[in-house]
Amino acid sequence: MNDFRFEPVAMPAAAVALRSEVRTFLDKEMAEGSFKPTVGAMVAADPAFSRKCGERGYLGMTWPKEYGGHERSALERYVAIEEMLAVGAPVMAHWIADRQSGPQILRHGSERAKRMILPEIAAGRCYFAIGMSEPDTGSDLAGVKSRASRTEGGYRLNGRKVWTSFAHGSHYLIGLFRSSGRPEERHIGLTQFIVDLKAPGITIRPILNVYGAHEFNEVTFDDVFVPEDMTVGGEGQGWAMVTSELAYERSGPDRFLSTFPLLVEAFRELGPDPHPAAAAEFGRLVAHLATLRHMSTSIAGMLQKGESPATQAALVKDLGTTFEQEIPEVVRRVLPLEARFTQDKDLYAQLQQLALQQMASYSLRGGTREILRGIIARGLGLR
Amino acid sequence: MSETRDLMLRSLDRIVHDTLDINARVAADASGQWPGKLWAALDEQGMTAIGEVTEGDLGFADSMALVGRAAYHALPLPLAETVLARRLLGRAGIDIPDGPLTVVAPGVATEVALTGGRLSGLARGVPWARAISHAVLAAGDMLVLADISGATSGQGVNMADEPRDALDLGRARVVASVQMSRAASAVEADGAMLRAVQLSGALSRVLDDALSWTGDRVQFGKPISKFQAVQHLMAQLAAETAAASAATDMAVVASVAAPDRFAVAVAKARAGEAAGKGSAIAHQAFGAMGFTREHHLQYATRRLWSWRDEFGGEAYWQAELGRAIAANGADRLWATITGTG
Ligand SMILES: Cc1cc2nc3c(=O)[nH]c(=O)nc-3n(C[C@H](O)[C@H](O)[C@H](O)COP(=O)(O)OP(=O)(O)OC[C@H]3O[C@@H](n4cnc5c(N)ncnc54)[C@H](O)[C@@H]3O)c2cc1C
Repeated sequence: MNDFRFEPVAMPAAAVALRSEVRTFLDKEMAEGSFKPTVGAMVAADPAFSRKCGERGYLGMTWPKEYGGHERSALERYVAIEEMLAVGAPVMAHWIADRQSGPQILRHGSERAKRMILPEIAAGRCYFAIGMSEPDTGSDLAGVKSRASRTEGGYRLNGRKVWTSFAHGSHYLIGLFRSSGRPEERHIGLTQFIVDLKAPGITIRPILNVYGAHEFNEVTFDDVFVPEDMTVGGEGQGWAMVTSELAYERSGPDRFLSTFPLLVEAFRELGPDPHPAAAAEFGRLVAHLATLRHMSTSIAGMLQKGESPATQAALVKDLGTTFEQEIPEVVRRVLPLEARFTQDKDLYAQLQQLALQQMASYSLRGGTREILRGIIARGLGLR
Repeated sequence: MSETRDLMLRSLDRIVHDTLDINARVAADASGQWPGKLWAALDEQGMTAIGEVTEGDLGFADSMALVGRAAYHALPLPLAETVLARRLLGRAGIDIPDGPLTVVAPGVATEVALTGGRLSGLARGVPWARAISHAVLAAGDMLVLADISGATSGQGVNMADEPRDALDLGRARVVASVQMSRAASAVEADGAMLRAVQLSGALSRVLDDALSWTGDRVQFGKPISKFQAVQHLMAQLAAETAAASAATDMAVVASVAAPDRFAVAVAKARAGEAAGKGSAIAHQAFGAMGFTREHHLQYATRRLWSWRDEFGGEAYWQAELGRAIAANGADRLWATITGTG
C-alpha cells in the first residue's frame, strides 16, 4: 500500500488550555482595534503585535528556556499559530524568525549566534528574511550565483537576492551563497549565512507586487562582511540546511489558512438561511478545511515524535494552497462583487478583493505547485 | 496498526487470493448471484460477525479497517451492509440474526411507516435484497429489523453491477422494533460513514495499481512514470487518496459509539469528491487498457462512481455542512473546525 496515513492526534491538555488563552488574547486585541482581520497568512506585519506575542510567550515556544524559549510541545505551538492565522492576525514581522530561522539557528548555529539572537526572537523584537531566490535562480535553487569568499575572520558576500519578503522590516537575513566551486557543481559548495541587514554594503530596494504593495524586496550585497561564526551549519552545508528548512516551511497551517478569514466574512454575508446550492458550495469548502486541518495537525504530531514527514508536508501544501485559492473563486460565484466596487467597502469586499489579487502567490511562495508535485512523486518512488 | 488488525487484513488478502478468481468476479457481476463460497470463507474467519460496538473480538476501528480492505479488493459481497446492520442492531439492543444483512438507506425509501406492528412503504436501491433474508431500516422513531424474504419487488444493479433491489415493505415481516431517537438520521450517517470507508479503500487500490502500471508501461523508450506530466498525475492521485482516508479516519474516530454527523458529512463529502477526481486521474494514466471491461481497474472505479452517490452524494452532505455553519453563525466556524464549539 502506497497511501500516506495521517494518524489522528489527541491535543494534550496544555494545548487545549493554551487555545482558549490565545483566543481570549486575540479577541481582546481585536476589540481594542489593535488589528483587523486580513488575508494572506504571512503578509501583514505589526511589530507592536509581535512584541505582545513575545511577552505572552507565544514565540520560540518549543525552544529551550536557556535561549529564551518556553519548552512547550510542537502541538502547543501549532495551536497558538493556527489561532492567530484563523483570525488573520498581523504575524508577518516575527513569522519567518519564529517558524524557520530560529529553529535553524537553534539546531545549526554557533553558540554566540544562539545567545545573541534567539532570546530576541522569542521576545518578539528580532525579525528575519529569507534570501534564497535570485534573478536567475528560482525553483532551481542550487544555481545561486551570489558568492561568499573567505577573508580575515569571516567572509565577504557579493550578489543579489530578489523577492525577499519583509527584508525592509527585518533585522537579519539567512541567505544562501556559493562559497566554493562553480554554479554547475550544484549542491556542493553552498553555505547559509546569518547576515545583519544593517551591515555596510547592503542595499534594500522595494519591489512593488501586483496590487502595488511593498511586501518583497531586492537585496544587494556589496562586499558585506559576515563573521566566521555566523554560518548556519558550517561552510558547504548550505544545501542540507535549505532542504531541512523547507520541510518546516511547508507543513504548517499557514499553507491552508491564508484565505480563511475571507471564508468567515463570506459566511456572515451568506446569512443564516442560504439557498441550497450556495450552502453546498460553502459546505464543500468546510469539508476541505476540516480534512486539511486534520492532516496538518497529524503532521504536527509526527514532528513532535521526531519524524520528518517531508512528502506528507508537500502533499498538504499542494492540497492546502489549492484550497486557499478556491475560497475566493467559490465565494465570488455566490456573493457578486460588482456593486461593491463603488460602495463603501465592507470587510468582506476588502478581503475578497485582496485575496483575488494575492492568491496566485500561494502556489509559488515556498516552492511552486509543480516542484511540490515532484517531491510527492519522489516520495511515491517515481523518480 | 495493531497486530490483530494486521493479521486480519492479511487473512482477508489470502482469502481473496484463494477464492476470488476472475471467473467468480465475472459471475457475480453478470448474474448478481450470491457468491456463497466467498462468503463462507469470510464467515469461517469470523469476518462477517463484526460491527457491534459492545461485542466481538474486533474493535470498531478494526472492523472499519476490514470493510476498507474488502473495498480495496472490490469484494462482490454485502460485507459493509452486514457490518452496518449489526452496528445499528447492536446499538438498539436487538438480537442479531446470523448471516448477511442489508440496510435500507433512508434517502431512497418512500412513505415508510410502522403501524400496528406492520410495515408499509417502498424502498429502492436496497443492496442485495434478493439474496438476503433480513433488513434493517428506520421507520419514524423506530429502528426495525424486518424479514424481507419474498418482499423483493424489483431487481436492479448500481454502476458496479452490485445488486440494488426494490422492496415492497408491505410484504416484509417485522421481527423486532425498538425506539431510537432520530433513527433515520442514525442509519443515514452510519451508512455514509461506511461508504466513505469503502471509497477510501477503493481509492488506495486505484493508487497502488496506477503506480505499478505507470512503472511498467513503456512508451518513448521509458516507463511512463518517468514523464513529469504522469508523475504529477500520480501526485494528485496520492493527494486525493490521502485526503479521503484522512477525512474518513477522522469520522471513524469521532463515531465509535454513535455517528458524529458533522464528521461523517465531512468524510462523505470529501471522499466522494476524491472518488470523482481520483478515478478520472487513474483512467487518464491507464490509457485505453484501463477502459476495457477486462482490465481490473473498472472493479474499483465503477464502485467509486456508485458508492459516492449512495447514502447521500457530495452535494447532499456539503449542503448540510453549509447550512449548519450558516445557522450557527460565521463566528463559530473556527470553533466547529477545532472541535471547541
Ligand atoms: C509572495 C512571494 C514571496 C516570496 N518570498 C520569498 C522570500 O522571502 N525569499 C525568497 O528567497 N524567495 C521568495 N519568493 C520566491 C519564491 O520562492 C519563488 O517564486 C519560487 O521558488 C519559484 O521561483 P521563480 O519565481 O523564479 O519561478 P521559476 O522557478 O522560474 O518557475 C516558473 C514556472 O516554471 C515552473 N517550473 C520551474 N521548474 C520546473 C520544473 N523542474 N518542473 C516543472 N515546472 C517547473 C514553476 O513551477 C513555475 O510554474 C517569494 C515569492 C512570492 C510569490
